[in-house]
Amino acid sequence: MYKLIGVFCILAGCAGWGNTKAAMEKERVRHLRTLFHILGQMRGEVSYGKHTLPEICLLLSELNDDRYKTCFSRIYEQTREENGGDFLKVWETEMGNCLEGLLLREDERETMTGLPKTLNFREEGGQSERIGLAEAFLEGRYRQAEETYENRSKMIRSVSILTGLLLAMILL
Amino acid sequence: MRQEEVLCLFPERVRDRWREVAACAEGLQEIRFRVGMPLSVWIENRERFVDEQGKIVDRPEKAARPVPEELEEVVKHLCRYSVYAFADEIRQGFLTVQGGHRIGLAGQVVLDGEGRIKNIKYIRYLNIRIAHQVRGAADPVIPHIFEEGRVMSTLLVSPPGGGKTTMLRDLIRQVSEGTAYGDGVNVSVVDERSEIAGSYLGVPQNDVGIRTDVLDGCPKAEGMMLLIRSMAPQVLAVDELGSIEDVQALQMAGGCGCRLLATVHGGSLEEIRHKNYMRYVMEKGLFERYVVLDRRTGVCQVTGIYDGEGKPCIN
Repeated sequence: MYKLIGVFCILAGCAGWGNTKAAMEKERVRHLRTLFHILGQMRGEVSYGKHTLPEICLLLSELNDDRYKTCFSRIYEQTREENGGDFLKVWETEMGNCLEGLLLREDERETMTGLPKTLNFREEGGQSERIGLAEAFLEGRYRQAEETYENRSKMIRSVSILTGLLLAMILL
Repeated sequence: MRQEEVLCLFPERVRDRWREVAACAEGLQEIRFRVGMPLSVWIENRERFVDEQGKIVDRPEKAARPVPEELEEVVKHLCRYSVYAFADEIRQGFLTVQGGHRIGLAGQVVLDGEGRIKNIKYIRYLNIRIAHQVRGAADPVIPHIFEEGRVMSTLLVSPPGGGKTTMLRDLIRQVSEGTAYGDGVNVSVVDERSEIAGSYLGVPQNDVGIRTDVLDGCPKAEGMMLLIRSMAPQVLAVDELGSIEDVQALQMAGGCGCRLLATVHGGSLEEIRHKNYMRYVMEKGLFERYVVLDRRTGVCQVTGIYDGEGKPCIN
């Protein structure tokens, strides 16, 4: 009886580990998708709405959930005229905090945190073009990550269950 | 006019330096930056200077001399790090910021292929004109622009800095809310330079009355027709007529039964009669009242009110 319970626990633990791993990959896909959507929204607001960057942050805080909502509303609050914060610095700090702990690669993180540095703040076409470049980069990473997730998630789950079985057999 | 509003014109990093100037917010009229030249402010019709520590001094020798980076930082802040969003305004040499304050810019002009102004680069001169909403500014005019309870089409005439926009803003507010001479009516405002209502995120920062609709940032000629079609105004208000297109749109608006409130640069009725497009307006009798304002004594005041034929109502 105890052996059976032990086998069950090992199998459940390994399956859980596999699921967690797969879920982490899924999270990465989700965040990459959100980020490139955010850049798409930004580009649209620059070229169509001709909103200022702090105003765009306000709109983005209304359009997005959880951590992104907080991040953009904080950027807006600090850079609005009343508070007068330097957009570059505020964006870098807040975006850095927002992306901290996420399963993103360094260059993906830098694309977002360093975005205002690549903008010239001057010309609408150039501005949206540069946002478009960052968007295309993250979209490429998103597609890649999605493909990887689809291929690897099944494999991770299978391997984790097989590992569990093997471990149980060894221990028995 | 609050101190905070003046401080908002500057990036957070340099705000401490502007506290003494901001303390004079009520009388503050202009802040002038010229690269390498003394930093000056106009307070209660008197030119003063600002030193490195932000103290107001009388002598230009003691004043701070701004460097190009300082100006660029201020411009970036005023444009909310989005110069592209103000490109059309910068092309015209100014931009209007939250609160309706107008920032005049000068530097090196970039032309497009057809010789038109495309941009201004190396912005080295800034003139921050502080807008003040003066409630009651239109009080001396109100009795003369109503006839049997209805407002008459009125043109305000004054040289730059003569108080046209301040008076127009208060006229709009009073006409919209109603006065002892007439009930409140629907007023539509084409606020091309965001100076009248000082809209921010589409919401007027100045009090323009309870029956006022504002079309912000729209060219006057297009805006007037759009508002007539969409908002059915009884009174249409625009600031600074400056072209034949504006006048043509105004004429069409007048033909639709709207009363008009407008302003134009000029020292006197004679002076504006010499402008081609204004002569046409005056001949057509588009306005029933002309109000001439001036600032000769340092205070904005009404120097004459004339009827549609140019005869004085008071003088």
